[in-house]
Amino acid sequence: MNEIVYEVFARKDRGGPLTHIGYIDAFDDETAKVYAWKAYDEEKWFEMCVVQRDAVIPVIDGEGLFAQLKRARS
Amino acid sequence: MSADLDLTALDDEGRAALERLIVTLADSKRLLGIRYSDWMLGAPSLETGISTSSMAQDEWGHARLLYAMLKDLGKDPMPMEHDRPASEYASIAPLDEEMPDWAALVAVMVLADGAITVMLRSFADGTFASARSRVPKMLAEEDFHSSLGAAWYRRLAGSEGEALELLSGATRAMLPELLAWVGADDAAMKRLVSAGVIGSAQERLTSFRDDMRELLALIDLDVDSATASDVWDGARGRTTGQPAEEAVARARGDLNRALLVE
Repeated sequence: MNEIVYEVFARKDRGGPLTHIGYIDAFDDETAKVYAWKAYDEEKWFEMCVVQRDAVIPVIDGEGLFAQLKRARS
Repeated sequence: MSADLDLTALDDEGRAALERLIVTLADSKRLLGIRYSDWMLGAPSLETGISTSSMAQDEWGHARLLYAMLKDLGKDPMPMEHDRPASEYASIAPLDEEMPDWAALVAVMVLADGAITVMLRSFADGTFASARSRVPKMLAEEDFHSSLGAAWYRRLAGSEGEALELLSGATRAMLPELLAWVGADDAAMKRLVSAGVIGSAQERLTSFRDDMRELLALIDLDVDSATASDVWDGARGRTTGQPAEEAVARARGDLNRALLVE
């Protein structure tokens, strides 16, 4: 199956930090939303979003996770 | 909004009809949870398995809330949950047997879960106070089930070969019995409709067909011309047949009976 990697971000409380909590594989945005909600349901989240990994643009080309992933893809 | 149903004003037949409706909804949720749980470890991806596991938990939670509504009628939910034989279960027919493949489970997600949602939506809009207060949260959780089912349905319907055949076969097999259940219009349902507990058979069928039309068209199935099964069991409020003994043993919690805590 041609699946897309989505990064999952969530915040616990209004005004709290939006935190990267993991990733899931899905075949479209709709399934990504369901998988993220169901896979990371250990908290009562105030907000949760998914972003396609390919859409994340690292600002610092260092040892950060997304910079490493981008280098690995290129 | 209409006034709450006065349960003391319901005659014996009205109370029996309401009990039948609650039990068929609760049993269907419980069996649906079992059918989702069957795929926790066999789904096409880790994420899908986690989702079916979570959906199984949702369905069991919904079943618990629905069985508890029997208390409003002076009935103890415990024997209903843990002591009935399979022949008394009123769960919808498509859940009677384990799904043979993933395509069949996707059809269940869309059609069977969808049919239960249509009935619950109508129940929540009615005059029974417990349904008005408890069912909306269930329906909010069902949005995720519906999204996942629709996404997978589109995917399998857009494929070629075996996956499409399996999806089409499962859909066509379960649709007539679901149309009979959603569109039930026997004396018990008429009594509930007249008491404002649930919408009319026509309203429920229209709602179900509206929800299904686009997806079923993907497999060249016209939901508006599909006909309902005519093998109706009025005592249980479902089509004839019964769930597999093995599934009912799990639904009752037979293996953990000694550890049962309420």
